[in-house]
Amino acid sequence: MSQDLDPRIHRVLDGELDRAALRPDERTQVERLEAAARALSDVPAAPGLADRVMGVIRRPIRSPVERFRQWLTARHPVTVSLRPVYSVIIAVLLIALLWRGPGSGPAPLLGEHEGVAQFVARFPEAHSVAVVGAFNDWRPEATPLSDDDHDGVWDARVILPTGSHEYMFVVDGERWVSDPMAGRYVDDGFGRQNAVMEVRPGRSE
Amino acid sequence: MTPALFLFFLLLQQNDGARLAGHVPQAALAGVHAIITRAEQDSLPTEPLVEKALEGGAKGAPPEMIVTAVGAEAARLRTSRDLLRTAGAPGPYRTSEIQSVSLAMARGLPERIVSQVLSAVRDTAPGFALHAVADLSAHGFGEDSSAALIVAALRMGLAGHRLLDVAAAADREVQRGSTRMQALAKVRGILPAIPPQPVPPGAMQGATRPKKGGG
Repeated sequence: MSQDLDPRIHRVLDGELDRAALRPDERTQVERLEAAARALSDVPAAPGLADRVMGVIRRPIRSPVERFRQWLTARHPVTVSLRPVYSVIIAVLLIALLWRGPGSGPAPLLGEHEGVAQFVARFPEAHSVAVVGAFNDWRPEATPLSDDDHDGVWDARVILPTGSHEYMFVVDGERWVSDPMAGRYVDDGFGRQNAVMEVRPGRSE
Repeated sequence: MTPALFLFFLLLQQNDGARLAGHVPQAALAGVHAIITRAEQDSLPTEPLVEKALEGGAKGAPPEMIVTAVGAEAARLRTSRDLLRTAGAPGPYRTSEIQSVSLAMARGLPERIVSQVLSAVRDTAPGFALHAVADLSAHGFGEDSSAALIVAALRMGLAGHRLLDVAAAADREVQRGSTRMQALAKVRGILPAIPPQPVPPGAMQGATRPKKGGG
């Protein structure tokens, strides 16, 4: 419940206006207010009030680091306005940074029992060459070799478990060829010979 | 067979069947499944059998040839597992261990030589040791003297892929003009100080992992 105080009464209470300038009813109101103020000043303060008030007033000043930490963790409204064309450019740049084409990437992280098998073959007339083995379920489309400089030498580097791996090349998607440079061969049970690659930890031969 | 074991085999078969369907001729599927089931019951790895069937399908082999090749693979796996047991190699054996013994035999190493090498590599994976012997044998060295060199290298502390360096060192000696007997003696004389083969610069860059399965 609140009631606005007449500005003239307010001025009298502040000592800015003589109470003689007030009407009798206004003077009576001033006297009541003064009596109420006197009565309040006679009431003793609640126990511990002073301590609580001083506790708040004397709260230790936080260090700059603490204030910075609080600023970092506090929520701040941030408005970002971006033109769609810039969004597309940023997305393209991010994709270009994260994706690298075959052969251009850094050395991969290998497991303890993994190595890199390098398959190299010379097929000058070929349009496509792939390596197949148990490591890709013998699917010709799974591991293509590349010949970026079109010199007829195709190559691919594949991460495989260490140990022996049988493989063949598939030229132009239909011609199955044993690696003539392998040096190790085994009958495949289907009238052909698979080459055998020994993959060492970290590399192959 | 307990119901749980039966269910396990059934799930395995369904998984293998899904991998084979569409990649292996329909006429070969029943024979291949029968061989895989027998292998499972005999606690043999089945993945090499699935791979052999997929290989036959990819190469366009006739159904009966696929079944024969898968059966031969199963027989070699069984012999390989038995040779590991006889040699005292601590089991259980990983698929790669059994498969490496099987491949060494497929490359022409007789069981007698395989057993000799397995006895020497009792505590480690036998693949590199067996293939070092197979490499020497493929390059015209006698099987017994090849196995003796690799066993000597093992006893001198060489292990794993370093055994391939031993075989390569003997081969280099022949290329330099030594007879095979002289080459073996020379390499044996410098054990275990066999130089490791250098890694070509950038040999690992851009390597990717192959994906199995799929359409």
